[in-house]
Amino acid sequence: MTETFVPPLLPKSFGGGVDPVSRAAAERRKEEWNAAVESVKAQSFWIETGKRFLRNRTGVVAAAIVVALALSAIFAPLISPYDPLIGQPVDRLKDIGTPGHILGTDEQGRDMLSRILFGGRLSLLAGFVPTVAAAVIGTLIGVIAGMVRGVVGTVLMRFMDMLYAFPAILLAIAVGSALGPGLTNTIIAVTIVYIPPVARVAQSSTRRVVVQEFIEAARLSGASRARIAWSQILPNVLNDIIVYASGLVGVAMIIAASLSFLGLGSAPPAPEWGYMLNSLRGELFTTPLVTIVPGFFIFLTSVAFNLASDALREAMDSRL
Amino acid sequence: MLRLIIRRILMAVPILIGVSIIVFLLMSVVPGDPEAGLVPDDATPAERQAIRHQLGLDQPLPIRYFHWAVSALHGDLGYSTLRRREVSDLLQQAWGNTFVLAAVSAIFGIALGLLLGYLAGTRRGKVVDRVVSIFSLGGLSIPSFFLAILLLGVLSGQLRLFPSGGATFDEGWGVAIQSLVLPVLSGAMITMAITARVTRAAIVDVFSADFVETLRAKGLTEFGVRMHVLRNAISPVLTTSGVQIGALLGGSVLVETIFRWPGMGLLLYTAISTRDLEVVQGTTLVIALTFVVINLVVDLVQAAIDPRVRGAVS
Repeated sequence: MTETFVPPLLPKSFGGGVDPVSRAAAERRKEEWNAAVESVKAQSFWIETGKRFLRNRTGVVAAAIVVALALSAIFAPLISPYDPLIGQPVDRLKDIGTPGHILGTDEQGRDMLSRILFGGRLSLLAGFVPTVAAAVIGTLIGVIAGMVRGVVGTVLMRFMDMLYAFPAILLAIAVGSALGPGLTNTIIAVTIVYIPPVARVAQSSTRRVVVQEFIEAARLSGASRARIAWSQILPNVLNDIIVYASGLVGVAMIIAASLSFLGLGSAPPAPEWGYMLNSLRGELFTTPLVTIVPGFFIFLTSVAFNLASDALREAMDSRL
Repeated sequence: MLRLIIRRILMAVPILIGVSIIVFLLMSVVPGDPEAGLVPDDATPAERQAIRHQLGLDQPLPIRYFHWAVSALHGDLGYSTLRRREVSDLLQQAWGNTFVLAAVSAIFGIALGLLLGYLAGTRRGKVVDRVVSIFSLGGLSIPSFFLAILLLGVLSGQLRLFPSGGATFDEGWGVAIQSLVLPVLSGAMITMAITARVTRAAIVDVFSADFVETLRAKGLTEFGVRMHVLRNAISPVLTTSGVQIGALLGGSVLVETIFRWPGMGLLLYTAISTRDLEVVQGTTLVIALTFVVINLVVDLVQAAIDPRVRGAVS
């Protein structure tokens, strides 16, 4: 017999008995039940969301750009024409379109295309990792604070309020300058910046869910708090968090780029886009087009993430 | 209303204390010995210990925080050995310059954002709406430092319209206003974008409310209806404006650095790159405190003009 999905709080047995008639009836009930479950699964929330997302042309294009950027970053060592760290000083500051250097060369004669490709790895990591990390930690804090009233919840949220009392970029700069430069420290800094807002979203969603009757039912059925949090609350607050967090990736990337622009991010000579933009800043009036290349890629990636996130929000919002 | 004001101010106190604790803790985890610059390389451990004792660095953290907070309350934020100036002196000058830049950017960004959001919200689905939504998406996605460099390249480099560096009001109003243009444009773009988005959403939301139907039914002109809608849509815009000003204060680090505008952002950037910890600490604290106070003011203004907010709080 194949295992079918049975929601945990529903009976696994469908009645039955000794006589063939009632056994057949039970079997029929079971089949009907499974069919119902299957049909619900077929139009499950995520499949519907996916369908709606695919119907949004802007969202699909944006998602395609994100995927293309991710692939080019992953395969950077294979497709880069040059070493991103070694330059030919004779070839310094070649303009865009120079044969052999499509995107030109930087102030040390390093190939810009190769540096952009490798830099994409740092920027995408700095956009994704903090968002995911903050989503996990912030959700944990928010759900706990939303479920546990009293001292624990209040203390947690007041602490979040204190972190939230800093302008985002300032907090990132302060944490970044305390920890010192480096990609890992940038990621930690941006994560710390994002935990409070995610925790707020998670907390307010949790408080909306926690008063509903099915939570009461779960509690009466003897489920522990942890189990209620995991199997009842989390699935119901996850949508809000996913929608919110997806909008953070682009900004995370910009904050990380800002940090390395200020010399607090990935240490040179790593080809981080923000750092590249800053070190090319002095050449703005000699080779303006080469100078703006790294900035353009930060902008492009951030637009793509924001559009994809908007499309995702629309696709998830139109629930019935 | 008075009770509300007092209540809000009292609620801000623990936040202020928390902010100062976080700033203090962040600067005390900075790797390296704070006294390293003050002792010669061949100092004996005993001499080092003496200096540490003199600076109070051998005290436990809570006591050090207490001393630091008490002197901060007296306006003493330490002494920058690198610049040979009191940190509070440095900050006093810089605060004014940042205030001017942030205030002008906020007014410009919020006013333009309101206008664009209003136009888009009242002409939903039309060309204006689309243009505004593309424009605000761009403004939301462009890093301020990249926009600053673009503006520098085009308006200052190619067209030579504006100076590339910051001149303050000490050098005369004309020059100062000219050199304000580019920093304001680069800083205010994101404010404008977010304000436009929020305004549009709020206007669309309010237009679908029942009272609009009533206003129309009683024969009010379309202009009159729109004024009512705008008044009701202003609250969510105000809510974000506090955060917006915070973003401008934080973002000033980037914008001021690029345009060499001598405000707190440039001060912080220089202090970070020269590892001038006292200044980093003082500047971070002052920017964060300014932000808390601005949010408090925004809250109160909102309560003053919107009875719904007032009711929800008290």
